[in-house]
Amino acid sequence: MEKPIVQKLADLEEQAFLNLLRQELDGGADPMGILEDCRAGMVLVGKRFEESTYFISDLMMAGELFKQATNLLAPKMPLSGDASRGKVVVGTVKGDIHDIGKDLVVGMLKANNYDVYDLGVDVPPEKFIEVIKETAAPVLGLSALITTAFESMKDTVDAIKEAGIRSEVKIMIGGGPVNQDVVEYSGADDWGADAQQAVTLCNRFMEG
Amino acid sequence: MDHEKRYQERAGRITRAIHLEPVDRIPIIYMATAFSPRFMGMTQAEFVTNPDAPVEVTIAAMDRLGDLDGVNMMPGAFQTVKLSLLWLSKIAMPGKELPEDELWQVQEAELMTVDDYDLVLDKGWNAFLEGYRPKILDMQLYESHIEWIGKDFSDVPKRFRKAGYDIMACGSTTIPFESLCGARSMPKFFLDLYRIPDKVKAVMDVMLPNLIKMGIRAAELTGVPRVWVGGWRSASALLAPKIWDTLVFPYFFDMISALSEKGILSVLHWDQDWTRDLSRLLEFPAKKCVLNLDGMTDIRKVKEILGDHMAILGDVPATLFATGSPDDIYEYVKSLVHDVGPTGLLLCPGCDGPINTKPENMEAFVAAGREFGVVG
Repeated sequence: MEKPIVQKLADLEEQAFLNLLRQELDGGADPMGILEDCRAGMVLVGKRFEESTYFISDLMMAGELFKQATNLLAPKMPLSGDASRGKVVVGTVKGDIHDIGKDLVVGMLKANNYDVYDLGVDVPPEKFIEVIKETAAPVLGLSALITTAFESMKDTVDAIKEAGIRSEVKIMIGGGPVNQDVVEYSGADDWGADAQQAVTLCNRFMEG
Repeated sequence: MDHEKRYQERAGRITRAIHLEPVDRIPIIYMATAFSPRFMGMTQAEFVTNPDAPVEVTIAAMDRLGDLDGVNMMPGAFQTVKLSLLWLSKIAMPGKELPEDELWQVQEAELMTVDDYDLVLDKGWNAFLEGYRPKILDMQLYESHIEWIGKDFSDVPKRFRKAGYDIMACGSTTIPFESLCGARSMPKFFLDLYRIPDKVKAVMDVMLPNLIKMGIRAAELTGVPRVWVGGWRSASALLAPKIWDTLVFPYFFDMISALSEKGILSVLHWDQDWTRDLSRLLEFPAKKCVLNLDGMTDIRKVKEILGDHMAILGDVPATLFATGSPDDIYEYVKSLVHDVGPTGLLLCPGCDGPINTKPENMEAFVAAGREFGVVG
């Protein structure tokens, strides 16, 4: 049996979850422990999504609950924070201004304890390269909703090769029309059909 | 054969396919909105600012491609205005916010607020729209759009007929879910579905008759009794079953039934994956719908579950047109015809042949349809 706070988040009961969280905080519970419970709730959400009992709307609602929780916890957290699972750079490629899928991926990665550098939309290859170099992030996520952006995905991968850092970064791609054909076309490493798969891919990449 | 004879032959073929009757050849339907101008050497900026251009270049592209039976969505008017009115979102335009020859893009943002739900409940949907349109549209362009619709829209079917082509859908409408999702923005609207589902439902009930009227009006203006009923964010893969069962399905059911009572066929242009809920579609009136898919729904399951109930239009994926080879297209069409045809299948690009379709892939689609679609 999961703890009530874990269960309430996983069951998407917003008010009950937030009430419990506030009660625990007011009662002097360790914010890091509460954050861990929230992550456990998100893991349950991801599991239900993989089992097809949860759908995209459930992921979005869970992401919102997790965001509210982290906003409440942040002021009480120690400055050093907890150990992240790793750094990931994410953005929608040049020429494409869609952000919903990308934002969902960012939310799920954060909920799974990744440090995410979200570069926004319409991101040129040189910006991705700059941030990968700055952060030494070993994973890059590229998003696109329109088919013309496949070219930008390819340009980004090519530019990363030219910059001499391709072997240092795993590249995952995603977005409405993306599939294995686009992986082959762009030269990325893999693709995900949804935000949960992005987490699974990151976990795999981080394990090496 | 003259154009009228050719039109009669093609229109008959399409009608028989819709009614699940035997056909001599599986109809091949064209749908490649932004590809057509590129194929014919016109910029996207001109395409979206000249209301007549979509009709001209679509017919020209179809002529150039060869033996197509019809067009999916009837083109004409200001493309980005049409999209804005359906999505209730702003559209970034080529030549304005975007480079001259790039594809228009939906700029989704929370332009309708939670308080606007009360406004709709209080004053009605049309009153809300009056105040909302200036937030999403260049009103001068909107006025020109309305003027063109009043003056030229009803002539478009005649122009296609004169060129020998039939029309699958003369206009478009959608269920309240989609319009609200565009107006509120998906991230906000999906939270509304959990937080205030009863209020959302009440607003949808106010909106529905207006959206049904939109479909009926298109059919009346053109004389084409087929209307496109769109679904994209309301797809099964995106929504919890409880939400789909209460805020999606009943509205499709009521809309299709109301259109059907007026003798109008619903072309269910449904993007994304609807596989989970296919059996619910058996509740729709038989042979009064065509299910138009984009390659994400399991079309073989559709055939298995709905094959005796409604025709299927689709579903060569947009990605394949953009990144695949003519051989890939040939293989896809061959297997589609084998598994889903010949009865009740109409071949079409899934969703829309994209702007960066390789011309040789569109040509391969038509050629494959001709080669594998012949029956007997």
